[in-house]
Amino acid sequence: MRKALLKGFLDMLPLCLAVIPWGILCGSLAIQNGFSAFETQAMSLLVFAGSAQLVAIELMAGNTPLLTILFTTLIISSRHFLYGLAIRHKVINQPLRWRLPISFVLTDELFAFSHHPKAYRTKIRLTYALSAGFSFYIAWNLWTLIGIIAGTMLPDLTHLGLDFAIAATFIALVIPGIKNLASLITVIVAGVSATLLKSSGFELWLVCAALLAMSAGYFTFRLTAKEEH
Amino acid sequence: MMTTILLMACITFFTRYLFLHKALPFKVGPKMQQFLSFSAPAVLTAIWVPIVFINEEGVNLNLSNPYLSAAVLAIIVAYKTHNIYYTTLFGMGLFLLLN
Repeated sequence: MRKALLKGFLDMLPLCLAVIPWGILCGSLAIQNGFSAFETQAMSLLVFAGSAQLVAIELMAGNTPLLTILFTTLIISSRHFLYGLAIRHKVINQPLRWRLPISFVLTDELFAFSHHPKAYRTKIRLTYALSAGFSFYIAWNLWTLIGIIAGTMLPDLTHLGLDFAIAATFIALVIPGIKNLASLITVIVAGVSATLLKSSGFELWLVCAALLAMSAGYFTFRLTAKEEH
Repeated sequence: MMTTILLMACITFFTRYLFLHKALPFKVGPKMQQFLSFSAPAVLTAIWVPIVFINEEGVNLNLSNPYLSAAVLAIIVAYKTHNIYYTTLFGMGLFLLLN
């Protein structure tokens, strides 16, 4: 059990560090836009979703209507529907007292550690997932707090190019998983379509690119599976 | 402001919890499961590739783009070592050197 706790923490550590620029930005941007320290920290504690928080801070500062803010939050968060669906068969037989905390910390980062066929199925693996998920939660809130305290004293770290850190960690998570043509096609379609859709300013770029890539991967899988038989 | 934050929290939690709720009026079949097995590489790649290629001016395919050359190195290291620490270290190292 202790090993699972430690392994969850260590596996998540590079990702905890990679989001330092964003966590700090979340804190300082909110303060600069007139949020109180309490509200800023509450946002990271309760919402716990980096991209949704950053966008919402800008919108709230611009006096955007509440419904627009909530709808934008839903669009940015809609990729989590996919994560829930994808791990449903692994988690669903666990009691609610495990499923609730797991779903609370089911971020992009934790989902990246969910591919093992036995993930979430045993007490040890649930402990591992919660340790990874909550260490990311604590880190995110710590970086937010630093952003609150630093306020305008620190430069915008994301503009220093430190946003590359998240790209590097995601590369490390994705590339070793490319084991056949289907996963290669998935990755290529995801990258190309996300870049094209995002640069053209399409709001639903992330979910659309993901669904396109998943379809491409699925059909490649079906085709290559047929050829083998 | 707190109301907005609380409502946002409800929405993000809803998107994370919905399909982990026990009673749902449908079952995920094997074909759907296969389709969903591609969600992790799809979403993660859809997040990192635009970070590499898109800057304030738009899409940048030039090799002098430090994001691009550092990403290429990170991909090679990830492929060879399967190690997240080496990948991040070498990728960030080259990136900071070039930037």
